[in-house]
Amino acid sequence: MGSSLPPKEANLFKVIVKSYETKQYKKGLKAADAILKKFPEHGETLSMKGLTLNCLDRKSEAYELVRRGLKNDLKSHVCWHVYGLLYRSDREYREAIKCYRNALRIDPDNIEILRDLSLLQAQMRDLTGFVETRQQLLALKPNHRTNWIGFAVAHHLNSNCSKAIDILDAYEGTLEDDYPPENERCEHGEMLLYKVSLLEECGLLDRALEEMYKKEAKIVDKLAFKEQLVSILDKLDRVEDGEKLYRSLLLMNPDNYRYFVGLQKCLGLYSEIGQYTTEAINQLDVLYKSLAEQYSWSYAAKRIPLDFLEGEKFHHAADNYVRPLLTKGVPSLFSDLSPLYDHCGKADILEQLFVELETAVKSTGCFPGRDRKEPPSTLLWILFLLSQHYERRGQHDLALVKIDEAIKHTPTVIDLYSIKGRILKHAGDLVAAAALADEARSMDLADRYLNSECVLRMLEADQVGLADKTAVLFTKDGDQHNNLHDMQCMWYELASGESYFRQGDLGRALKKFLAVEKHYADMTEDQFDFHSYCLRKMTLRAYVSMLKFQDQLHSHSYFHSAATGAIRNEEANSSSMSKSGKRQHAKPVDLDPHGEKLLQVEHPLLEATKYLKLLQNNSSQSLETHILSFELNMRKQKVLLAFQAVKQLIKLDENSPDTHRCLIKFFHRISSLSAPVTDLEKLIWNVLEAERINISLLHGKSLVEVNKSFLEKHKDSLMHRVAAAEMLYLLEPDKKLEAIQLIQDTTNDTAPPNGALGPVGLWRLEDCISVHKLLEQVFHNPEATRSWKARCAEYFPYSTYFEGLKSSAVVGLANGNEYSVPENGDLNHQVVGGSTQNGNLHSFKDLAI
Amino acid sequence: MGISLDCLRDKNLMQLKKLNIALFPVRYNDKYYADALSSGDFTKLAYYSDICVGAIACRLERKEGGSIRVYIMTLGVLAPYTGLGIGTKLLNHVLDFSAKQNISEIYLHVQTNNDEAIAFYKKFGFEITETIENYYTNISPPDCYVLSKLLPVPAAKK
Repeated sequence: MGSSLPPKEANLFKVIVKSYETKQYKKGLKAADAILKKFPEHGETLSMKGLTLNCLDRKSEAYELVRRGLKNDLKSHVCWHVYGLLYRSDREYREAIKCYRNALRIDPDNIEILRDLSLLQAQMRDLTGFVETRQQLLALKPNHRTNWIGFAVAHHLNSNCSKAIDILDAYEGTLEDDYPPENERCEHGEMLLYKVSLLEECGLLDRALEEMYKKEAKIVDKLAFKEQLVSILDKLDRVEDGEKLYRSLLLMNPDNYRYFVGLQKCLGLYSEIGQYTTEAINQLDVLYKSLAEQYSWSYAAKRIPLDFLEGEKFHHAADNYVRPLLTKGVPSLFSDLSPLYDHCGKADILEQLFVELETAVKSTGCFPGRDRKEPPSTLLWILFLLSQHYERRGQHDLALVKIDEAIKHTPTVIDLYSIKGRILKHAGDLVAAAALADEARSMDLADRYLNSECVLRMLEADQVGLADKTAVLFTKDGDQHNNLHDMQCMWYELASGESYFRQGDLGRALKKFLAVEKHYADMTEDQFDFHSYCLRKMTLRAYVSMLKFQDQLHSHSYFHSAATGAIRNEEANSSSMSKSGKRQHAKPVDLDPHGEKLLQVEHPLLEATKYLKLLQNNSSQSLETHILSFELNMRKQKVLLAFQAVKQLIKLDENSPDTHRCLIKFFHRISSLSAPVTDLEKLIWNVLEAERINISLLHGKSLVEVNKSFLEKHKDSLMHRVAAAEMLYLLEPDKKLEAIQLIQDTTNDTAPPNGALGPVGLWRLEDCISVHKLLEQVFHNPEATRSWKARCAEYFPYSTYFEGLKSSAVVGLANGNEYSVPENGDLNHQVVGGSTQNGNLHSFKDLAI
Repeated sequence: MGISLDCLRDKNLMQLKKLNIALFPVRYNDKYYADALSSGDFTKLAYYSDICVGAIACRLERKEGGSIRVYIMTLGVLAPYTGLGIGTKLLNHVLDFSAKQNISEIYLHVQTNNDEAIAFYKKFGFEITETIENYYTNISPPDCYVLSKLLPVPAAKK
C-alpha cells in the first residue's frame, strides 16, 4: 500500500487508512490532500480520498475520485478494493463482487478482501463462489474457528450436507479434549446442535442420535437438545422413547401444541386431517383426561379434545371448557373456538350450548345444574360469545341483537364496540363500522391496537383523510407519513393504497403499493449484517433458517397484495393513458407527494410485468397470479404467455369461474385473429393447435358447448352462472338478454344445515357487488342493474353499497356516543338497582348548574 | 372477583361518559368532566374484574377563608353490578382520602324521593342539612336535599 511513494508520503498514506478505519474522516482528507499536493495523480491516494468523501455523503465526488484513482493505477488491489467498497455502500453488490475479484487477481491471498467477498457472495446466494472463497480463507488461516465454521456453512448452503459434516468433524478434531472453556460453552453447544441438525437433514439418524448422547453434557441449550432429540427419535420410529421425551417436554411447557401432536403420533393416535375412528376417539379421550389431570394448568389439554370429540361428548366437553372462561371473562374465547365451525355439525351444537347457558344465567343467575351464583359479568360474556357465534354463521341481524344487548348490560366494555364494528363491516356497512371502531378507540386513547383498528376501518370506508389524522395520534412528531413508512407499517400502506385505488387516485395508490415493495427489498437488504455476525456468534441454526426465510420472503401475503395492487394499478394506468394519449401532468413537484411522477412511466405494462415476475416466482399457487398474468399478456398480445397462464389456471382449479373465463376468452380471441402470415405466427399457431388437444375441457366441443356444459355442471352456483352468462354474451352478443336472464334466474338458496353457516342465503356480499358492476359496466343494462340492486338490498339490509334499509346510507349513523340523549325517561329505573343492599345507589345532582 | 379503583385521565375519560349515559338521565357538560379531571384522586373509576362498572366523581370547592370542601357530583354503579359493595368502596375511598387531606366537609345533592340513596349516605354519617326547592328542572319531584358530613378537624389546624 502506498508503496510507490517516498517514506514521508507513505506514512501519510497510512494515516489516511487509519483515519478511515477510525472514522476520523476530516483528518484523512487532510493527509490525502497533503500527498496529492506533491503527487496529484497518485491512484491509491485518490481512491482513498474518494472513499473518505463517500462517508461524508459526497457521493458524486467520491465516484469520480475513485474511478480516477483506479484509472491511474489499474494494477493496485487497493484501488479495486476501494471501488468494491464504494459499490457495496450503495448496495450494488454485483458490481462490488466484480471489483473484489479484480482486486484478488492482483493480491490473491488478501484476507480482508476475501472476507468481504464472501459476505457479498452469501448475500447474493452465489453459493459456489461462496464455497470457494470460504475454502481459501480456511486454507490461509486454519487456526481461526470462524473459518472452519464458515466453510461448513457454505457447503451446507450449497446443498452439500455431508461435506459440511466432514468439515465440522475435522474442526472438532483440532480441539483439545477439555474444550470448550467456560466462556465459550454456549457457542460450542450451538455448533454441536447445528452438526446434529445436519446429520438429521441428510438422513444419518443413527449417527445423529449417537452424537447427541455422546455430546449431551456439552450442549447448553437443554430445551433445544430435547426437541432435537425427539425429532430424531420420531424419524427412527422409537415411539416409546419419544413418548417419554414428549411427556417431559410437556412438563416444561404444557401449552405447546406441537408436543401434544408429537405425543399423539408416538401413541399412534394422530391423523393429519383430524379424522378418527370411534375407537381412536375413545382412546384419545382417555389420554387427554389423564393429561388434563396431570397438567392441570394447561389450557391446551382441555382445548384439544374439542377437536376430535363429536356429538354428545363434544357438547359436554365444550360446556366444561367454556364455563370457567365465561366466568373469568376471556374476550378471545370465540377466536379460540372458531376453528371448530369448520367441523361438520359442531356449529349447531355450540349454538345449542350457548343458548342454554344464556337462558339459565338470565333466569337463575347460575349455569345450568349449578347453584353457585355467577358474577354479573358472566351474562355479558355469554352475550358477547353468542353475538360472534351468529356473526360467524352469517346471521348478522341476530348478532347485532346480541351485541346490543351486551352493550346495554355493560356499556363500558371496549371489545363490544370493536366486535359490533366488525359485524357491520361483514354485513356491508363500512361507514358504520368505521364509526364504531372510532367509538371503541375513544374509550381508551392510550391503546395502539384500537387506534390501528380504527384507522383500518376508516380506510376500508374510504375516509382517507380521517384515517391519516387518526394514525398521526400514535406516531412520533406527528409526521405520520414518513414515520409509518419507517416503521414498515404495511397494513396501513396496503389499506391506504387500496382505498386510493378504489377512488381512482392511481398515483397515490401506486406510491403506497411501491412503498410495501420497498420494505421487502429492505428486508432482503437487512440480512447483510448477519452473514458475519452469526458466524462469529455461532447462532448457526438460526442463521440458516433466517436465510431460508429470506429466500421465501416475497411469497408473504403482504407482498402478494402489494404486487397485485401495483399490477392492477399499472393496468388501469395504461388504459387511461391510451384513452387520453400521453398524459401531461401539470405540476412536477419535486417530492412527488401524490405519486404523479410514478405514473409517468413510459410503459406501465412493462412495470407491471416486473411485479408479475416476482409473483410468478413466489406465489405460483395463487389463482390471482395467473389471472393477472393472463390479463397482462392478453393486453400485450403475448399469446403464448397468456396461454401458459390459462394452463396454470386449469391445473390449479379447472372449476373456478375465473379459469373458465380465461379459457373461453383466450380461445375466442384466438379464433378471431386473422390467419397467420409470418413464420413466427405460424409457429405460434401450431403450438396452440397441438396444445388445444391436451385440454380435456375442450375435447371435441365448440366454445359455446364448453360454456353450456360448464353452466350445466355448476348451475346452482351464482358466480359460476355469472361467468357462464358473461361468456355467453361474449361468444354470442345477440343473446345478451338470455345471458342476463341466466343471472337473474339464480336463486339464493339457504346454506345446508350442519355447516358453519346458519339459516342464511349462500350468496356472498362481495360476489353480489361484482355481479352488480358486471350488469352495469359489461352488460350496460340499467333495468337489470336496478332490479339486481333492489334484490340484493333485501338480502343485505345493512349494505351501504346496495342501500339496504338498515344501512347507514339510509338511516344515517346511529350515534351511540356521548352526544345522544338516552331514550329512557324512566327515572327511578335508572336511579335504583334491584336490591336494597348498600351498594346500589346513584345520587344525581348538579342538574341545575 | 376483585374490585379495584383507578384514576380518571383524559385517556379514559370516555369510560366515565359511558357510565353516566347509562346511569343518569342527564347530560353532563364539559365543566363537569374538567372538574372531575382536576379533582385528582377524589374522582375514581371502579373496576370489577377489569370491567369499568362504576365511578365517583367529585369537585373540590374553595370555601371562604381558604379551606377546601368536597362536593360529590355523581356516584353510581351499573345496574347488573350493584350489591357487590362497589359503591361503598368508592365512597369510603373519598371519605378516607378526604380525611388524609384534612378536608373538613363533604356534601352532595340528592333528589328528595331517592330514599335508597339517602339511606345509603346516612349510613356513612351524612345528614340532611337543607332542602332546596325546584333544584331540578326537568324531573319530578324537582326538590333536593343537601346531605353533608363534617370530618373531624385535625388538632394541628385548630
